[in-house]
Amino acid sequence: MIQIRNLCKSYGKMQALKGLTMDIEKGTVFGFVGPNGAGKSTTMSILATLLAPTSGKAYVGGYEVTSHPKEVRKLIGYMPDFFGVYDNLTAEEYLDFYGANYDIPSAQRKQIIPQLLDLVNLSHKRDAYVDSLSRGMKQRLGLARSLVHNPEVLILDEPASGLDPRARIELREILKELRDMGKTIIISSHILPELAEMCDVIGVIEEGNLVAFGRVDEIYAKMQEQRVLRIRLTGRIEEAMTRLREMPVITSVTREGSWVVANFSGQDEQQVELLRELAVAGFPVAAFNETVGDLEDIFLEITKGVGS
Amino acid sequence: MNVLRRLRNPVLFNEWKMRMRSNRSPWLILFYLLVMGSMTLLAVFFMTNGGSYYNPGETRELFMLLSMMQLGMIGFVVPGLTAGVISGERERQTLSILLTTNVSATRLILGKWLASLSFMTFLVFATIPLYAIVFLYGGVSPLQLVKVFGFYVVTMFAAGSIGVLMSTLIKRTGIATVVTYALAFGIAIGTSVLAEIIREFIRYQNRLNQVASSPMPIWPDLLHSLNPVLAMLNIFGEGPYGSLRGLVNRQSLWANIDPFWFYCIIYGALTVVCLLLAIYFIQPVRGRLRKTAAEEQ
Repeated sequence: MIQIRNLCKSYGKMQALKGLTMDIEKGTVFGFVGPNGAGKSTTMSILATLLAPTSGKAYVGGYEVTSHPKEVRKLIGYMPDFFGVYDNLTAEEYLDFYGANYDIPSAQRKQIIPQLLDLVNLSHKRDAYVDSLSRGMKQRLGLARSLVHNPEVLILDEPASGLDPRARIELREILKELRDMGKTIIISSHILPELAEMCDVIGVIEEGNLVAFGRVDEIYAKMQEQRVLRIRLTGRIEEAMTRLREMPVITSVTREGSWVVANFSGQDEQQVELLRELAVAGFPVAAFNETVGDLEDIFLEITKGVGS
Repeated sequence: MNVLRRLRNPVLFNEWKMRMRSNRSPWLILFYLLVMGSMTLLAVFFMTNGGSYYNPGETRELFMLLSMMQLGMIGFVVPGLTAGVISGERERQTLSILLTTNVSATRLILGKWLASLSFMTFLVFATIPLYAIVFLYGGVSPLQLVKVFGFYVVTMFAAGSIGVLMSTLIKRTGIATVVTYALAFGIAIGTSVLAEIIREFIRYQNRLNQVASSPMPIWPDLLHSLNPVLAMLNIFGEGPYGSLRGLVNRQSLWANIDPFWFYCIIYGALTVVCLLLAIYFIQPVRGRLRKTAAEEQ
């Protein structure tokens, strides 16, 4: 449904995208994750025909976004990371205005709008002025607005930002419904766990480069291979750190007081061997713990925090 | 049916709805009519020497005064009404959403432009009853009245199109408004200043060439007639162009140009150019320049 080929975007000397390439299949919920300023919104703006790439191509439904923006706009529903409101418009009028902008006949709009308000649980706010709605309600209304012309692709730029936990859960439920309806959804966030629950595929972007891409379970399994070992020693700490650094299964070693924290990339047998080696060498090991990286750790490990 | 659907402009209808729904609109109409009415009645009071008698010969002066006041109000209100139409959308963060819909750049710009001007047109036409005072005493032809209102429309459209263009090019409404006022007044007054400079330059050349007796060409005065105040005076046969008309060679093409139509054509062309530029620059992905609206935000 979406193909991105070697996409580059520069703002003066700053390169926001550096040859981004990826494919998103029809019906996929794709989570685009990365720290602030990584290039997520730039990519989404290009897909939404709001920005021209410096080089490279992006296709939505087979249409190239810069040469066929009209066709692309019919296929996409775009929701930016902010919500602009018109004072003096009710929720129903707001949707009606955007429906008219998509050239949907008045009679058809009258049928669609109640359905959309129902989908986003805002039927009771139909006659309420938009600026009187809470942030969560506005986000849901924005989602309804992006669905008014029944697009095949939804581009949602950080839809959950600034929402309270309840509003996040409500939004997640609506997105699940949309996934069941067969929509292709691109959703961005700088919080990986937020996306992992609702996405099929995840792409991690940092400094304009795609640093990880794949199914959520694949990425999760791959990253679980990376374990963190926490070893507490009562003495000879520096010597133990040097010894650990020499081991091929240890990728990095740091010290936190009397604790040595080592990133371990081996199997269980190698972990047993490591502990035995430390004991045989006479290091005073008081505690030995293994922690499996959660999604936050995975994200930090992948992105290394360079962009933030 | 298809043609009608094509002509439908949701942006325009939405702007009408929102503008007329706001609390500000009735107050603005009231204030506008109050100012215009008070000034007119004050002028009538002085012209009738406190209500003792009225000289019908002064009707024309009252009409001119009323027309000039209206022109001043237009110059004061229109840039303020139009300079925020696009930058306001940008500040409200609704522009990018609009640009991803089926609404074309042309429909968006024309909708915004017409919506803001239709309110000013409404204000101007709401003052028609004031002109009835003039008609009560006679002395002004209906054609002059039609010309004056036509003149208002042309002036509003031109000033409004400058406002829309500045609003498209400049991100902040405040700056766009100041620049629009400066440009609108610059064009209006600048044409007269330019006309005087050119005329002095021609005089200087004539003195150098010792041909002081040759008649002054009239075309610099056509520039004078682009000054809205002088153009308005031209409608009443009071402008500099009209008085100079008798001094020049009647065979000259310039001498036969009606300054009213000259004003309409030039300001009409300015309107079209400004609107076309606004339509071009608001497009998020512009063909050759490859610069985008999102970059500007």
